[in-house]
Amino acid sequence: MTKLNVILGIIVLLTLIVLFERPQWKRAQKKEKAAFVILLGMGTALAILLLYKPDLPGPTQMVDYIYRPLGRLLEE
Amino acid sequence: MIEKGKISAMQMALMMYPAIIATAILLVPAITAHHAGQDMWLSPIWASFSGFLAVYITLRLHHYYPQKTAIEYSEQIAGKFFGKIIGFVFLFFYLHADGIVVREYGEFIVGNFLMRTPPIFVMGTMVFICALAVRGGVEVIGRLAEMIVPVVTLVILIFVILLIPDMDATNMLPIMEKGIIPSIKGAVTPQSWFSEFFLMAFFLPYLANGENGKKWGIISVLAVFLTLFIINITVLFVLGGITANFVYPVMSAVRYISIADFLEHLEAFVMAVWVGGTFLKITVFYYVVALGTAQWLNLPDYRMLVFPLGFLLLVFSEWIAPSLMELSHLLATTVPFYLSSIQIVLPLILLLIAKFRNRNRMKDGQK
Repeated sequence: MTKLNVILGIIVLLTLIVLFERPQWKRAQKKEKAAFVILLGMGTALAILLLYKPDLPGPTQMVDYIYRPLGRLLEE
Repeated sequence: MIEKGKISAMQMALMMYPAIIATAILLVPAITAHHAGQDMWLSPIWASFSGFLAVYITLRLHHYYPQKTAIEYSEQIAGKFFGKIIGFVFLFFYLHADGIVVREYGEFIVGNFLMRTPPIFVMGTMVFICALAVRGGVEVIGRLAEMIVPVVTLVILIFVILLIPDMDATNMLPIMEKGIIPSIKGAVTPQSWFSEFFLMAFFLPYLANGENGKKWGIISVLAVFLTLFIINITVLFVLGGITANFVYPVMSAVRYISIADFLEHLEAFVMAVWVGGTFLKITVFYYVVALGTAQWLNLPDYRMLVFPLGFLLLVFSEWIAPSLMELSHLLATTVPFYLSSIQIVLPLILLLIAKFRNRNRMKDGQK
């Protein structure tokens, strides 16, 4: 998979999600629409970021850092 | 209230069962065996205490705030500002945990069956199906559980029965050779799976027969305990001392099944069962994240958020670990403490504050 293909895939996915939600769009409140757009934007930004920096430190590294002293009890 | 559906206490118990079991029989038996060796059958006994504790805490909190989920009452208990922070911690935690589950599912399917399929496709289709179930609401998930769980349980039982000819009970000897400590060490990872019973906090407000919540919660913990106990003992009897060397011991044990050279290669059933079980597990977590996010933001409905959250979930599952070995190592070391500190320690702190607050209120007369 080249990077361009992944980006195309993301665009297709986003389009499908937006098309799927279109019927409800008119009835939705402003707050709901804002949450929808922000969450989708977060996902897209993260996906593209991970595409270019696959070893970006994430929640797992944070967990590993916080609990390492306890985790060491189980390491042999 | 955002969720208008109602489920029965039994449906809740049936939802919780695969929400613990589905991944607890994938990588966990190997981790338990690594620490406990031939005492691995003892570990679920210690681990189940965590489940009972989680159910007790959840029920006490539910008693103080009967109409509210964890996201809503943490705001009432800790105040607006800290409540929102605690709510965010819960939501982020469940999104992260669900990402781990999706990844485990993808690695399992691609590693064992669909070797040439891109993992992202396997995980993406699963998340899509789960998204549809989540949009259906709590009633749909409850009925799916009623449909899938009996089949899953039955197939697991049939596997255990078919494996009886390959079992060697001497594998469990000597019992407690090095004392009780190895089996307790082996219980650390499964106990964190048991702590996921805190998920009940998101379903108790939607019970039609709330008075049975306690009974069915305890039945669910017992059922999970019994299943893990039987699975661990089966794996130990079949594989013996080499259990820890397998990535998926249950899978490897099932490969031993050979009845009269006729009934062989039953792995496909393992996959069928696990796809069903993991589907429910991902759905339950996903539902909690979607509903919780809507409550956290005070939205009137959560359905708009389902697909964007699913997309985020998929990205998270890629982000979680670079490889299966890394993931397995994390699950064996730091992740158990993470799971239980968010699902047992944090609710326990909330419960203590709630107790303190309500004692003052009781003095002023009822409410």
